[in-house]
This record gives sequence, C-alpha cells and structure tokens, in this order.
Amino acid sequence: MNGVAVLLALLPPIAVLALFQHRRILAVLGMSVFSLLLAAVFLFAGAPDVAITEAAIGAALSTFVYVLAIRRSGRLVVAACDVPGLVHEERGTVAGLEVDLLERVARSAGLELVVQLMPPDEVLAAVRRGDADVGAGGLLAGDEAAGLCTAPVHLRTAQFAVRRRGARDDAGAPHPFRGEMSDLIGSARRGEPLAVELDLARLLALVRSSAANLDVTRKPGEFGYAFVVAERQRDLLRRLTAEVNLLLRDGSVEGWAGRHLG
Amino acid sequence: MKTTRIVVPAAACALVGAFCAIAWHGLDGAGPNAADVSPWIESAEALGARNVVSSIILGVRILDTLVEILVFTVAVLGVRYFLELPHGRAAAEEIPESRLVGVSAAILLPLIVVIGTYVTIYGHLSPGGGFSGGAITATGLLLVAAAVGAERVGARFHEGAFERVEWGALAALLVLALLPVPFGKAPFTDLLPAGAAGRLLSGGTILPYNLLIGTKVLLGTWVIIHHFLRHRGEI
Repeated sequence: MNGVAVLLALLPPIAVLALFQHRRILAVLGMSVFSLLLAAVFLFAGAPDVAITEAAIGAALSTFVYVLAIRRSGRLVVAACDVPGLVHEERGTVAGLEVDLLERVARSAGLELVVQLMPPDEVLAAVRRGDADVGAGGLLAGDEAAGLCTAPVHLRTAQFAVRRRGARDDAGAPHPFRGEMSDLIGSARRGEPLAVELDLARLLALVRSSAANLDVTRKPGEFGYAFVVAERQRDLLRRLTAEVNLLLRDGSVEGWAGRHLG
Repeated sequence: MKTTRIVVPAAACALVGAFCAIAWHGLDGAGPNAADVSPWIESAEALGARNVVSSIILGVRILDTLVEILVFTVAVLGVRYFLELPHGRAAAEEIPESRLVGVSAAILLPLIVVIGTYVTIYGHLSPGGGFSGGAITATGLLLVAAAVGAERVGARFHEGAFERVEWGALAALLVLALLPVPFGKAPFTDLLPAGAAGRLLSGGTILPYNLLIGTKVLLGTWVIIHHFLRHRGEI
C-alpha cells in the first residue's frame, strides 16, 4: 500500500471525527487536519501547486476565519453562586433578579447568556481566570479582590449579624458567610450553632426555609449588590455600567426585586 | 518582559534565516524539470518557466486567470459594500488575546511573510504563485490580527492605502495584459524575454503577473476577513 492510499484512507475517518465533535473549536481543528492531509495527498500525487494552495487556504486561512468567528459568536458567561431570589435554580433553569438583569445586558449586546452555578469562593477565581465574563450571586460592592472591578450597585441591601436565639455563645463572633446557601439552611434546620453575617437576600432565604428562631442585628453602613468583571474587560464593564444604570432609571430592577424577593 | 524583547526577535530572525538557507541551497530552481512533464514542455520551455502549471495559468490560459481575479475582485467589493458599518455603529468589541498568541505571532509573522513572498516570486520556478503566496501572507496578517486586534492592524497599515494599492494592482494587471495591443500584437502576448529557464529573472511576464496577483489576493483577503471580524459575521 503506498503513501497516498494510506492518506486517502485516513481522510474519511478524520472528516467523520470532525463532524461529531461537540465543541466547535475541535470540529474546526479536525477540518484543519483534514485539509493538511489532503494537501499531503496532492503533494504526493504530483500536484505541489494545488497542495500549497490547499494548505494555505484550507488548513490555515479558513481555520483562522472559523476560530475568530467562534470567539465572536457571543456568549456572556456568568459565574454565580446560588442565592435564592438573586440567582437560583428553578425547574431546571436559572432565575432571579440578577439573571433577569444580566439577560437584558446580554440581549442588548447580542450575546447569549450562560449562567454557571458554582460555590461562592470559586466565582471570583473563575472571573479572574477568564473562565467567566461576569461574577454574580449576591456579591457585595467593595468586596472584590485584586484584578477585578465592580459594576455599579444594582440593588441596595444590608448586612445582618445572625445568631440562633437563646443558644449558648459557643459559635464565636459572627463572621461573613462565604459558603453555599444550602449548607447554611441545612445546618440551621439541624439546630447547629449559628453565628454568621448575611446580606438581605440570604437572610430572607434562611428565614423562609429554616424557620429557625434567629437573633438578627443589622450592621451599620451601606451595602449593595454588584456584578464583578475582570479588570481587563473594560468594554464589558462599560456596557454593564450603562445597562445597569438604564435599568435602575426605568424601574425594571424595582419590578424584578418585587417579583423575586417579595 | 526584557527576555521576551530579545528572544522573540532573535527567534523570528533565526526562523527567517533558516528558511533562507534552505531556499538558497535546496529549493532554488529545483522545480520539476520541464522535460519531465512531456505534454506541456513546449509551452513551458517557450516561456522559460520551470513550473509547468504557472506556464499554463499565466501563459496560454492567462485569460482564465484574469477573469478569476475579476471574480475575486467582485467578491471583495460585495463584502465591502454589504458589510460597510452604518454611521454611528461601533465595530464589534475586540477580545484581547492571551500572551501566548501574541508572542507566537511575533515569532511567526516574519517567517510567514518571507515564505509567502518566496512562493509568489518563485512561482515560475517552484510550486506556488501569486494566489497561494498572497493567501499565505494574508494568513500572517490574520495571525497578527488575532493577537493584537484587527482594528489596530487596520489602523497601522492604513486601510485607505490598502484600497489604493489593491485597485492599482488590478489596473496594472489589465494594463500588462493589454500592453501588446499598441505594439500591433494580440492581447496577452508575452513581451518580455523568456530568459534562461531556472533563473529568477526568466519566464517572461509570469513573474510580474505573480507579483500583482499576490498583492491583489493578499489585500483582498485581508479586506474580506477584516470586514467579517468587524461585524461578527452579522449583516
């Protein structure tokens, strides 16, 4: 069997492989490999001119166009933690005030909104790494870390020190809560010691779902929920700022707050 | 940062140097001997070209090639016309690339440009020609566009000048094709001497045709891709 026959035999499997890739970038790379092999076939078949053109246009140029197109076919990826009312799962999809708000931002930019739920401590890391464009889920303005910026506050909130009423003081001083809401609710239901600082949305969720007898004191100071973006995403921050301000002015955010937070 | 500033140009120079050395010793005039490709030897030899394919598409079949270039021009025009940004609408936002792509582009761009130019200039001697050479060079431009953003590359190279050179290349092609007419000869007649087969300056008008077609294809491809990039493919 000669070289050209081997290369020709390889072409159909590679084309099929490219066809059945779920990630678009892998499909494009598969077609690029296909073109490169085809160029080799042309070369060995005594058509070097055609081989050069196939390699330049099939393997390089069109692959480039596809790669750039994929990067541009917009998705606004949001990393968020679960906070009932702001971002939560509801009948298999995500819903909440922040989801509605980001949906508007995405639509105005011609992008598709993709929300990835993750533990709270991973949200900021995902945005900093560039795995997500926006961090959401009850993030407080002024809380962000190095390399990240916050969009304007879209909803005012308050911080509360929360303790179980009548419990012995064995849980220590209240500390800002950074875990999953479901864990907190679970531990409150089991009657475990509780001493945390919560924002309004999380406190509402805790009170509604655990029915625990809580001692709540409001912390002094002004707090607000805001979205977080990476510092390098200046255009996105600008767009987010403009859109949030617009939605605050026309009263949309107020309406969503009434619907989702009650 | 400082190492990158030294290493990247050094790596780029090394790649270009290696390619030039290989071309000098190995590839120069090493195209298939016209005598090996019997049916077309006469036309190729008459033109002084080693690359039989070039001698056909830019010799006896030059009219086909010219019409092909016109079709390409119409395609570029169409992209330009239909994807013109309406007033007040900003170009799609740039997505910054990772440093890896930026450094690779800096190292590879010179090599790609040299190979593209080589393939264009040696089109009558070795495989290649204006079409493939122009496409290869355009790939290099695209690589830079992907690394630093198409708008910045477009601004650096001045889009207006690009357009003038592109139309200039097309006009020169037509002039070159019709030049024999005032001399009382049929259009597309080769006025330049054939020269000794295998030398760089040989093959009559094939070399100027290749250069003009290469320029035209390079700039046309860039215009198409740049417009696509600006619009995210939306019309």
